[in-house]
Amino acid sequence: MVHTLFVARLTLNALGRDRVLHTLLGVSLVLLCLVPAFSLFSMRQVQELAVTLVLSCHALLLIFLAIFLGSSTLWRDLERRHTSLILGLPLSRSHYLLGRFFGVGLFLLLFSLCYALLAVIAVSVSATFYEADRPVIWMNLLAALGGDLLKAWLLAAVAFLFSTFSTSLFLPLFGTLAIYSAGSASQEVYEYLNSDFSSQISAGVRWLAEIFYWILPNLTLFDLKTQAVYSLPLDIPALIYPFIYGFVYTSLVLWGAEFFLSRRDLV
Amino acid sequence: MMKRLFLLVCLIVFYGVITVPASRYLLDRPVALKLGYTPSSEAIKLVVGDQKLLLAESLVIKVLFYFGSLVEKSMNRVDIPPEYYGMFKTLKTAVMLDPYNQDAYYFAQAAFTWEVGHAEDVNKMLIYGMEYRDWDMLLPFFVGFNAAYFLKDYEMAAIYTRRAAEISGSDLLTNLTARYFYEANHDQMGIAFLKQREENTKDQGMKSLYRLRRESLEAAQALQRSLERFVEKFGHQPEKIDRLVEEGMISHLPDDPYGGEFYLDSHGKVRSTSNFSFTRGADAVQDGQ
Repeated sequence: MVHTLFVARLTLNALGRDRVLHTLLGVSLVLLCLVPAFSLFSMRQVQELAVTLVLSCHALLLIFLAIFLGSSTLWRDLERRHTSLILGLPLSRSHYLLGRFFGVGLFLLLFSLCYALLAVIAVSVSATFYEADRPVIWMNLLAALGGDLLKAWLLAAVAFLFSTFSTSLFLPLFGTLAIYSAGSASQEVYEYLNSDFSSQISAGVRWLAEIFYWILPNLTLFDLKTQAVYSLPLDIPALIYPFIYGFVYTSLVLWGAEFFLSRRDLV
Repeated sequence: MMKRLFLLVCLIVFYGVITVPASRYLLDRPVALKLGYTPSSEAIKLVVGDQKLLLAESLVIKVLFYFGSLVEKSMNRVDIPPEYYGMFKTLKTAVMLDPYNQDAYYFAQAAFTWEVGHAEDVNKMLIYGMEYRDWDMLLPFFVGFNAAYFLKDYEMAAIYTRRAAEISGSDLLTNLTARYFYEANHDQMGIAFLKQREENTKDQGMKSLYRLRRESLEAAQALQRSLERFVEKFGHQPEKIDRLVEEGMISHLPDDPYGGEFYLDSHGKVRSTSNFSFTRGADAVQDGQ
């Protein structure tokens, strides 16, 4: 555990010095400053548009960060042969992998916390422009941001998994992007296949789609934006399922990553 | 150095030369190109992931901007017929992506009922929205208004205005509901609704107003029943409402609590000169009716 935390701290320090990430943080700050102005484009739902913009920017930035950091962190070590140095340390491969992942995860968490603070200010300012039907439920907003964070952790884990057996950066990058796209659409496809409209689809295609549905991560579960934007009641299962599902799925993916990394020739 | 500077100046000039006509070309694009083609909501849902709300709002804003630019042009006496079909289709896609989107419903009500006369399509969209925005009194109010004003469907108007009245607790809507029920020949429903509101309100002034409206409807209902008995017995409408008393269908003509006098309109419906409102009654008195 000490070794894992040590690697996580090193990873976090390295990410904190990354100029690309500084730029990205600057971009997110500019976007948040523009939210009150953009929210005025709406006719009657200024506050709702502000929350939508805040959550959409957060989700997009986190997905970018998760895929970019998840793909490059491990791959860079393998590519630059840093791992051969690590092998000489009293550190197991699983500790190294988990340390790297926790470092990235912690960075995403810190980014989300800073963003959440600024998002609350941006939404509060926008809400003063036009009185909404329903006031913002801040807990819903935080839950939606949390849902995006859980999703980003899961995607980062998927990128780590691809990095453990790929020799190129393309597979972790585009593979994770593909998983993100498929995971976002899987619930819609599943619901369509279970509706009356899909009667003409062959049984084979249905069967295949159903297998993918159960194997791919169901990212719809993490989407709590509607409840946050329109201040709808958020029930307990809507909060608990993403948390448990995200934890279990991410753990499974990391187990797979550890499995492949432990069998990879690092010398 | 001079060469580089010359190149820079040339590039800036070329930029100026190309950017102005390019911008003009974009401004003068055909309507269909400006509004663009929006794929079906089912297809969009598969690719946008968790950005459905943002996309829905951007579609609505696109329609708002497009319509706004046409309004601006028409104010400057440049008449371009709006592409209503494309606008409505875009809004429908937006509400399928985000059924809570308030802007889409409000704009549909504003642009597609008065101007184009698509009250029926708008009502379908609004009824769909009511399943989601169940706290919003304006959606059922719009449906009720469209039904009464454009479609002359008073039964539908009464049902949805009642819903709006229940959500908002508005006294004005309560009275309007009762009136729609009366127009739809559902006096009993109107009376029952007013009774229920009368019992549930604490404000004594409002209680009196509901009672007044209920009593006027009850009086009109009693006259309508006696009128039906008259038609049943004689096979035709009476020439004047007084015939109902003369033929013993009713003991006396009831008073209209709003101060008007009951009469029969050309369709054989019991009406009052007050039109069941103090304002109209006062106008009628002033006009010497």
